[in-house]
Amino acid sequence: MSLIQPSTQPKVSQKASGRRNENNKLYANPLPIIFAEEQSSAGVWHKALGLLLGVSLTRVLNPHCEGVFDATTRSVWVTDMKHAMTLWQRGFFGKGDLSRSEPSWLARQINARKQARTGLTSEEVTAKRRAERKQFKLDRAKAMAAAAAEAEAAFREEGRVISTVYSADGTRIIPSAATWKPSQTLPEPPRASSPTESEDEDDNDVPIENVEHLQLTLSEAFFLLWNLDCLSVTHPETGDALSLNQIWCAFQNAHVPSPSLSPNLDPPARRFDNPFLVNYVAYHHYKSLGWVVKNGIKFCVDYLLYKRGPVFSHAEFAIVVCPVYEDPADQESSPFQLQNTSPFSWSWLSTLNRVNAQVQKTLILSYVTIPARSRVPDTVLSSPACFNHYSVREVIVRRFIPARMRD
Amino acid sequence: MSTVTNMQTHPSYPELTRYLSKYPSSAGALFQTFNDITFAQKWTNVELVDLPNCQRAGIKGLRPSSDDGELPSTCIVLPCSLAESISTSYFSAAFTSLGESAPKQIYLAICAEDSSTVYYKIGKGIVKPSI
Repeated sequence: MSLIQPSTQPKVSQKASGRRNENNKLYANPLPIIFAEEQSSAGVWHKALGLLLGVSLTRVLNPHCEGVFDATTRSVWVTDMKHAMTLWQRGFFGKGDLSRSEPSWLARQINARKQARTGLTSEEVTAKRRAERKQFKLDRAKAMAAAAAEAEAAFREEGRVISTVYSADGTRIIPSAATWKPSQTLPEPPRASSPTESEDEDDNDVPIENVEHLQLTLSEAFFLLWNLDCLSVTHPETGDALSLNQIWCAFQNAHVPSPSLSPNLDPPARRFDNPFLVNYVAYHHYKSLGWVVKNGIKFCVDYLLYKRGPVFSHAEFAIVVCPVYEDPADQESSPFQLQNTSPFSWSWLSTLNRVNAQVQKTLILSYVTIPARSRVPDTVLSSPACFNHYSVREVIVRRFIPARMRD
Repeated sequence: MSTVTNMQTHPSYPELTRYLSKYPSSAGALFQTFNDITFAQKWTNVELVDLPNCQRAGIKGLRPSSDDGELPSTCIVLPCSLAESISTSYFSAAFTSLGESAPKQIYLAICAEDSSTVYYKIGKGIVKPSI
């Protein structure tokens, strides 16, 4: 991009490239830990020491985030907003539990209260865009009906055929999405404003208490604490930090039905098909290859893979995790309701593929092999070393239309 | 800084605690759905409905008017978790439990572990979509 002629750039692309640069700066770090290079002004001795002794001068900056384990929702909550934003901005970990992605609930409430937009949160941007798109569709339908009626009348009375797309002077009658502009300012999306509010009260408003937290799935939390050591998880009731062993037990026990809502820190019954283990294997596989892995419930899949992150581009791949039992006897004795362990029906697979093809995502079936208890001793389940015994294989599903896909 | 430190200190906990203990298998879904409905979707007059035939509590409330210009209406939400397997008998049971005053359609809220919640409209029999 040339720096010589910034003023000749159209305004829209200037805004877009500005936002892109801002995003590049804000989301520059793909992981919460940062490797800080030593300043070049470090003394000669420092460098000599580094060369002679092989000591790295790079410092690892660890944000040491804290989360609290919640067994009921099977997740780890990050309630300190500073830690929450760190985890979100460096790797897109977690999701605000009252927001679409980034925890923005408090900002939305403040915006709603102020009744003036200083900046739009993502939910408001979507609402505005949806309202505009609806208006466009109404305008377009009206234009099409009017053009059709005119063409009908012209043919009936005079017998001549006129185009319904272009008018006599060559302009388009029917608006296209690219060039349509709202004719009047659209009504703003409904807000929850109290009727007694007035401008005088702005300064005396009771500050809204933030009830939102960043929610990490057990897989994300385990990835952060086991691989990067940048997250500590505390017990919800005692507030003590949990050890790796306790976390290993608690995360697995979260999938075992129990009448209690408190975490169970006792060693779980040893099963290779515990949903935490199976989900973690798939999560770790893609995360360690550099993808940003998010939940895919909106598209009927398990995971969505983003190349850099949700703010940069849409997800390219949709993953369905299909656990496969090495030994069918294990499947029969399973106390868990693992999804997709049996083959799909063709109709369901077609539905899944259609839904994802519609949104330009490629469907990937990810087969996670669950080791057989008869072959692998279940003592390996006492530590994360058991993950070595799982494997992940991918199969891409694409619809083939012989008539159309010849080129 | 969030004022919440764990589930017990969450503002929704006092209202939910009875049903969280009564139906522990659906406690996570109920908690998540209740918070989404009251804080994010901004429903009003929210109350809980005991549905023993479905082994969970449902959420009843006034849904605010949407962009389409629909009037606020009382709706019922049935929470469930993505890991559960639900059959159509659950919905029949829900409609029967709600009795005479049951609305024509109820919402099924499916909760994922990252706190994403998707809502599906469930009606009795074949329901023609409104144009």
